[in-house]
Amino acid sequence: MKYAYFPGCSVHSTAQEYGESCKAISKVLGIELIEIPDWNCCGAIDAVYSYSPLFSLALSARNLSLAEKMKMDVVTLCSACYHTLSRTNKLFDEDPKLKEKIERVLNSVQLDYHGKVKVRHYLDVLLNDVGFDKITQHVRVPLKGLNVAPYYGCLLVRPPNISNFDDPEHPRLMDELIETLGASSVNYIDKTRCCGASLAITDEAVMMEMVKKILLNAKDAGAECLITPCPLCQFNLDVKQHDIESSYKLEINLPILYFTQLVGISFGIEPNDLGLNKNCVSPTKLLQRFEITR
Amino acid sequence: MSEEPLIGVYICHCGGNISDTVNVEMVKEAASLFRGVKVAQTYEYLCSNPGQDMIKKGIREHRLNRVVVASCSPRMHLDTFRQAVKSAGLNPYLLDMVNIREHCSWVHDEKESATAKAIALIRGAVERARYLEPLEPKSIPVEKKILVIGGGVAGIYASIELADKGYQVYLIEKRPSIGGHMAQLSKTFPTFDCSACILTPKMVYASQNPNIKIVTNAEPLNIRGSPGNYKVTVKIRPRFVDEDKCTACSECTKCCPVKKPSEFEENLIEEKAIYIPFQQAVPNAYVIDKDYCLYFTKGVCRLCERFCKGKAIIFDQKEENMELNVGAIIVCTGYEQLNLKKFGQYSFGLHPDIVSNLQFERLMLQSVHRPSNGKTPRKVAFILCVGSRSNSSNGMEYCCKIGCMNAIKQALLLEKAVPDAEPWIFYTDIRAHGKGYEEFYASARNHGVKFVRGRAAEVMPNGDEVLVKAEDTLFGMQIEEAFDLVVLSPALIPNQGTLELAEMLGIDLGSDGFFLERHHKLRGVETKREGIFIAGCAQGPKDVRETTMESMATASKVATFIGKGEISVSPEVAYVTSEKCNACGICIDYCPTKAIEEAQNEVAINSISCIGCGICVPICPREAIDLNHCTDSQLIAQIRGVCEGETTSPKIIAFLERTTAYGSADLGGQNRRSYPANIRIIGVPTTGRLGIKHLLHAFAAGADGIIFIEGDDSAFSEEQLRNHVIELKKRLHTFNIESLRLVSTTTTLPQYEKMLDLFETFTERISRIGSLPKERRDEIRGKLGGL
Amino acid sequence: MEVISAHTIAPHLVNPLFTKEVMEMRGGEKILDCIQCGVCSGSCPARFAMDYTPMQIIRMVQLGLKETALASSTIWICASCYACTTRCPRDINITVLMSSLKNLALREGISTKIETKPKFHRSFAEVVRKYGRIHEPELITKLMKKTDPEALFHNAALGLRLWRKGKIRLLPSKIKQRNHLLAIFEKASKEEI
Repeated sequence: MKYAYFPGCSVHSTAQEYGESCKAISKVLGIELIEIPDWNCCGAIDAVYSYSPLFSLALSARNLSLAEKMKMDVVTLCSACYHTLSRTNKLFDEDPKLKEKIERVLNSVQLDYHGKVKVRHYLDVLLNDVGFDKITQHVRVPLKGLNVAPYYGCLLVRPPNISNFDDPEHPRLMDELIETLGASSVNYIDKTRCCGASLAITDEAVMMEMVKKILLNAKDAGAECLITPCPLCQFNLDVKQHDIESSYKLEINLPILYFTQLVGISFGIEPNDLGLNKNCVSPTKLLQRFEITR
Repeated sequence: MSEEPLIGVYICHCGGNISDTVNVEMVKEAASLFRGVKVAQTYEYLCSNPGQDMIKKGIREHRLNRVVVASCSPRMHLDTFRQAVKSAGLNPYLLDMVNIREHCSWVHDEKESATAKAIALIRGAVERARYLEPLEPKSIPVEKKILVIGGGVAGIYASIELADKGYQVYLIEKRPSIGGHMAQLSKTFPTFDCSACILTPKMVYASQNPNIKIVTNAEPLNIRGSPGNYKVTVKIRPRFVDEDKCTACSECTKCCPVKKPSEFEENLIEEKAIYIPFQQAVPNAYVIDKDYCLYFTKGVCRLCERFCKGKAIIFDQKEENMELNVGAIIVCTGYEQLNLKKFGQYSFGLHPDIVSNLQFERLMLQSVHRPSNGKTPRKVAFILCVGSRSNSSNGMEYCCKIGCMNAIKQALLLEKAVPDAEPWIFYTDIRAHGKGYEEFYASARNHGVKFVRGRAAEVMPNGDEVLVKAEDTLFGMQIEEAFDLVVLSPALIPNQGTLELAEMLGIDLGSDGFFLERHHKLRGVETKREGIFIAGCAQGPKDVRETTMESMATASKVATFIGKGEISVSPEVAYVTSEKCNACGICIDYCPTKAIEEAQNEVAINSISCIGCGICVPICPREAIDLNHCTDSQLIAQIRGVCEGETTSPKIIAFLERTTAYGSADLGGQNRRSYPANIRIIGVPTTGRLGIKHLLHAFAAGADGIIFIEGDDSAFSEEQLRNHVIELKKRLHTFNIESLRLVSTTTTLPQYEKMLDLFETFTERISRIGSLPKERRDEIRGKLGGL
Repeated sequence: MEVISAHTIAPHLVNPLFTKEVMEMRGGEKILDCIQCGVCSGSCPARFAMDYTPMQIIRMVQLGLKETALASSTIWICASCYACTTRCPRDINITVLMSSLKNLALREGISTKIETKPKFHRSFAEVVRKYGRIHEPELITKLMKKTDPEALFHNAALGLRLWRKGKIRLLPSKIKQRNHLLAIFEKASKEEI
């Protein structure tokens, strides 16, 4: 199983542990991720689009054209990159006028794209291409008794005409992954509610209010940790958790892991290889429960 | 023609309406010189008594055997003049009318060209008259029996009305009991009548009425025949219980070991595999569900058989077919509810306290309780418009009509049953259109029912409670409230099997998927096929009051249709010349009323089902079909007559479908709108009647351009017209005629502006291209011999 | 909120061409079809921070209230989470509509109560155009200099925390073919959709 790997900007900076844990479990499962050479920013949903829509689409399309040369499907770790690249693909297919404009821009730097690349999220590849059975085979440390709340976020499952590998209102895939690893999946409301990632820099207070609701709902439902498939979500839930606690005078203390990290833990991979030392809210107690030390 | 035609031409002044523009004396002179014309006269008002007398006198004196009346539109006085010639001893189909008022004097200003056009049109009629044949309308006996498909309130009421009028009715119902959804309701709005209490007496009456035969577990398998004489095969599925022997003592159900979800109770309660749908079921007999019964699934048990004192259980009962001969069919197949699981945001199926409004009806009758823990619900949310007024892929565009009133009723009933209840209704717009409805809504407000104007965004199970989130759009705040019970209002959709039934019956569905009525305002209970009617929710969602009124209206229309024991059928129908037909069957699929069937070595056209549209005629590769009163000879003669002779240039023939399109042109005339006199209108049953042959005759005889105009409600659909014209243009091309010389459009009755604009622009276009050169015409004439 | 404080909509705020303009933009094709049911506003997780609800913005477009709509905080607070679009019964792509309105506001230089957002988009695009990938420290520095220099200290503390965890790159990650970026941007600006 070979894929053109699109890490995305966050995986290179604030979400390095996501990339590390992903590489670690991919090695075990035989997924070969070949980084797209010289990939650029996906277009970041609206961040660039609002300012210059065609520039944003062209940036996206440049990545797709580079992947097309590799003759592989693209896999990405970030829900926002997944959405932005998929959206460009879809527009390319459905809007001939727009397609022409994008092609003209690409041609101006001697690039072209023919719409032949599929864009996948790593979670989709893991659960549908690799399959639950194969994952079970590699579980060395069944996470029995651990209550894990899956946080899907928004762009992984919506809108249904772009993200269609799970139900947009009641997704189940990460819940099933959690059960496969031997843990118990926690049912709580708001598991697909947006965390406000695009507001993190300019409207921090708004984002914190949105994140607070998610964390409290999960905690009230009995979660001992959260897993997430997006570096922007993880940043808000993990790195900013401390700020939220002090702003609202709460104690939350909920470790936020990438789903790849959880898989890695149950595969018995070394915590440092999974970047677990980089998570801000410490998962140490959690690891100790399964006699894993860093 | 078996006799020499002796034609009389009568031209009306119409009190100046014609004669002020058309030189009627000149027309008379010209007409008197036409082939076969014995006498040509003019008169002030031909439709008046003296005018008619003049025609009658002319018939007798000159022994006329054909009459042409040139006056106003035949839509005005065709019957008048037909009666006149009939009373003079001439077959009324030997009369033809020429429209020189609405289509000539009223729409052209210039006298010379108007007169020339009038002469051309009359020449066409005279040529056609030579080929007219006497025809007799047919009277056929009809079966005074009626089939009603569907035993809900619509079917029950229609059956009772007709039975009381003395007709024999077969009421067939898919389920094991009649009653439909109305039997499931608790009370009706706005009067709070107990639904079962007002319905069940009618059900009993229907079952005891000697004129009504109720057959349950039954569906139509196929339908053949024609209006007044439909032959229906009904499939009856076995109930495995003898209806006559079963006393509904319930011993069988007590000993049955298998439980299954009850359909009548909307899956809230379980019943046994041998069950009675509900206590007041009609027929009042039990039935076995073979998907659950142990005998049918595993080959064991049969306890019920042992305990049944009446020996009513018949495990080896087989499916059987019943043949019926009926004069009319009424479709009363009702509705079902949209699958609520399609709306993930409302979490239906993920918590027992999220129910549909039909389920809530059943809960109200089971002493209202929460399905999760059996406790009394206090705070209840009613969510309206789930899947209604929506154009997204999982929703329906139309309003369900009963959701608002139903929720208001349920809220008020809840308050009566639970003293401190707190009902909330989340709505988009409250529709309270009927009698007493607005007052009912006011009563709900006054009883403290909370109304939130905002379609609910999400319904989420939260442990023991259910959360509802919505925007109160009137105030401008988001609401998030916890409820004991949430009641969803799903869209109403046509019942399963509607598409197949429509195909079987040969009737149409509307764009909303329900059966389509003949006319929105004026013919609401008829369908496009004569003798087939609709009533109730089969036509579209509605409440009980509207349903019963529709049923009674339908019964009245049915009684009119078959009441005399015979129906009169127009003789203007298609017929097959056996020697020419080789039974290729191509014509069968083109017939819009399924009037053509395979017979031995040929096809047979049912003259009662045939509506005389003429679509089959040019389709036949062997020219084996022709149409009475619009035969090929008559049509070609008329076309040539209109085109030959005088030198108007360019000459454009407009073939207009004779009801809507022709009527629209008449309207244009009545409004005194002008258009070029180059346009000569010929009425045809539908433009599908015309084939390449007719067009070529037109071009050969002097036409330079041809227009087809079809009515938008015609049996010849817009798509069929488009394809037909594309084919014709291709063939014209092979005769070196530019495809630009043919144009087509559809029209509604009032849309005459569009038609007249087309007349203007097309005349201009043909003027620019120029007339067909004589050599081309000669060429075509030569080739016509081979057609 | 000059629209609501007056008892009627001030005529000078109504611009009938605005409705047509929006109908030509992506996401705006079906706005005349909106029945103002409120599902979008009810579903929006960021609605609490908006001055007008998403439904009200669409109403403004229907009425031609251009300045009011584009000056709202709504279009900038929209987090592009697609909850509204997924549930809209009239099949309106509200999320994309918000994007298009943002773009229109930026193009026309319409000032908004939320100053930071437009500057954020410009700064983000500038950094991406420079390196091909985003570089948060430079983005934040650029942005804070323009808007709120005091916040620089607050963000510096965060930056330090991240640096200790090894989650920050002080130097930007650059793509090799940076010449592509400027060329693409130039060409795209000329072609705009």
